[in-house]
Amino acid sequence: MRKLVWIAAFAALASPAAAERITVTGEAIDTWCYFSGVMGGADAVQGTAHHTCALWCAAGGIPVGLLAEDGTVYMVLKIAADDAANGGDMLLRIASHVITATGEHHVRDGINYLIVNDVVADAGIVNLTHEDYGVVPDFAIPEPKE
Amino acid sequence: MRMIAGLFAAALALPVVAQDFSAGSEAKEWGLLGEEKARFEAKVVDLLCELAGDCPADCGAGRRQLGLLRAADGALIVPMKNGQPLFTGAATDLFPYCGKDVEVDGVLVGDEEQTPAKFYMVQMVREVDAAEWARANLWTKDWEARNPGPAAEKGPWFRKDPRVNAKIAESGWLGLGLEADEAFLKEYFQ
Repeated sequence: MRKLVWIAAFAALASPAAAERITVTGEAIDTWCYFSGVMGGADAVQGTAHHTCALWCAAGGIPVGLLAEDGTVYMVLKIAADDAANGGDMLLRIASHVITATGEHHVRDGINYLIVNDVVADAGIVNLTHEDYGVVPDFAIPEPKE
Repeated sequence: MRMIAGLFAAALALPVVAQDFSAGSEAKEWGLLGEEKARFEAKVVDLLCELAGDCPADCGAGRRQLGLLRAADGALIVPMKNGQPLFTGAATDLFPYCGKDVEVDGVLVGDEEQTPAKFYMVQMVREVDAAEWARANLWTKDWEARNPGPAAEKGPWFRKDPRVNAKIAESGWLGLGLEADEAFLKEYFQ
């Protein structure tokens, strides 16, 4: 009997972990710049200051995350039927937007993942970081030619 | 029984215990937050398949984000970046290896105050037991194949990408619309 219990427990380990259904509100961010510090502090790589770079990174296939109000970042793996999390059009459409999404929340080895079932609200781009940081990186907007 | 399975599931959610994977690494340093060189063996997996059991036969044909299931400890590592300094992710470079056992070399990054687990920049990859390494720099070649017209023009891909440029033309560099852009740019470049 004990042997069976252990076999069942290991079978559970090998199976996909159970997901929790959640609703989360947050900004669609470029996770590489946010976590690596490559462009400076985390506050500067959100919102309007970083919007152009967020478009580049989304198109470039860097994972898009949802930065929730409590600071948790959910790695977005799918939005409704669209599984193009490697540079898909939907990711460019939501770059820097604050959205509210319902979906399946998975946690594995300390990282949060979200499989979005539905984007229930889109507040657009409301984080006006350019007022404090200008443009990050500073070459994102080319200087107008004379 | 349920309790034991629950304990295992809870253990899966925990952050990975810090280990040193720097032995033998020839990765380039980038000076990033919490950066550590890391060379390790792993299986390349489709993250949606691994986490949710959504498993197309072709690993999603390149559309999906991929993960690295590390052989040494079973940790699921998220590769965010390839080796190019060009705003490019890792999934395109890893896609040819999906489902295979590989060795990767690169850097783990992330500050422990910000994230309980580090993320990975893959700089080189090879199948386990293969002699030759491949540099993780395929993204731009893939982009050029998909965008032959813009690729023939001068400049880096991100200045020429039709989708990015269409978004900027529609809603501006700040994303707030062309009118907001105009007022900002006048002051910014003064």
